[in-house]
Amino acid sequence: MANWRINNVALRGVTGTVPNNPVKTADFPFFTREEADIFDATVGIRNRYIASDSICASDLCFDAAERLIEGLGWTKESIDVLLFVSVTGDYKTPPTSAILQDRLGLPTSTFVLDLPMGCCGCMYGITVAGNLLSSGTVKRALVLVGDTAMRMGSPKDKSRVPLFGDSGTAMALEYDTTAEDIFVEMNTLGSGYQALMTPHGGYRHPVTKESFEYEDFGKGIIRAPKDALINGMDVFSFAISKPPISVRKMLDDFGLDKDKDVDYFLIHQANKLIVDRIVKKLKLDEAKVPYNLQEFGNLGGASIPMLMVSELAKDMETRPLTLLCSAFGLGLTWGTMVIKTKQVKVIPIYKL
Amino acid sequence: MTNLEKLNNIFSEVFSVEQSVLNADFCKDNVEGWDSVRQLSLTTALEDEFDIMLDAEDILEVTSYEKTKVILKKYDIEI
Repeated sequence: MANWRINNVALRGVTGTVPNNPVKTADFPFFTREEADIFDATVGIRNRYIASDSICASDLCFDAAERLIEGLGWTKESIDVLLFVSVTGDYKTPPTSAILQDRLGLPTSTFVLDLPMGCCGCMYGITVAGNLLSSGTVKRALVLVGDTAMRMGSPKDKSRVPLFGDSGTAMALEYDTTAEDIFVEMNTLGSGYQALMTPHGGYRHPVTKESFEYEDFGKGIIRAPKDALINGMDVFSFAISKPPISVRKMLDDFGLDKDKDVDYFLIHQANKLIVDRIVKKLKLDEAKVPYNLQEFGNLGGASIPMLMVSELAKDMETRPLTLLCSAFGLGLTWGTMVIKTKQVKVIPIYKL
Repeated sequence: MTNLEKLNNIFSEVFSVEQSVLNADFCKDNVEGWDSVRQLSLTTALEDEFDIMLDAEDILEVTSYEKTKVILKKYDIEI
């Protein structure tokens, strides 16, 4: 059972960077004005920031990391662990985390790891870094979570393009014997892997001429096998059923009262319909559920750290908080994490 | 307003169609734009209007105008 209670690890700081290119729903050529209005009202994503082809997720994460390190006053030499959580790395090999170790000027003694884990990325990053730090053998970790998800898909796929935004976030974790425990509960349903996938480009189906052949699937979906796809109905049935069960289990297992013991519920910002559904299913107090999907779209694994930056900055800096995070995404994977924070340095979003 | 009128209003609004087209053929496979987003919009509107909470498996079964009536009946909503 993938449950953890991670001791001695504190979240010290967080920030995020987006490309300075806001795109409104009505800007997409495949939407009529009326369709764009309906999309805004139902899916809730009115704006998103889209990286140009010359900006990679690592560039956005690099900017966030540099600003966070400076804001915390950490020396580069004091960082032991660097995780890059992304499905849009610079190259197929080597790991982007290694390239970032050099770009950020971190010592060669740094432990690096790439985690291509999609929308649960924040939770995977904190779970891995947290477990590495917990014994105190290493003291400081940077967890960089970011994607340029727009470029993974077909520009002519109406079912996918308007949902995502691009970003890079950075979180700083540190060994601290006074820190409250972090609770994590993760799950996997590999049988559902085809719901969210990029069929060609790996070694099961390497890129061939056929990978670029576009097919019209109807309903505004035109894509090639090289493009990431979303099987909307499968994702939707997964997203509305599994996360609430995991959240309830977390609350029960650790004896937490959702109304009294949790300050905020940070739910992966997939789209408004899905987040609303989870809120309703769990009967959560809406005032405790921040949203930023209207401004950023679905940021994949960076969704939760960006919520901290865009919606909770003042609270996180000034008072202790209990945050319950719920995420779900490719794999299929989903999970819940409870993290208690104290005086976290939150550095404002930068538009690169 | 009767439950049938409420149901028809919801379908008409969610799919942007005249109520006259709502019949046994009005289903996921025949209706342009009946995707997962529309389905979740539809079920959310049904829940709000009839003050019910649909189970996930029932939400997935809301794939036609007629099936919707059957599912609502499970929640004691007679059409």
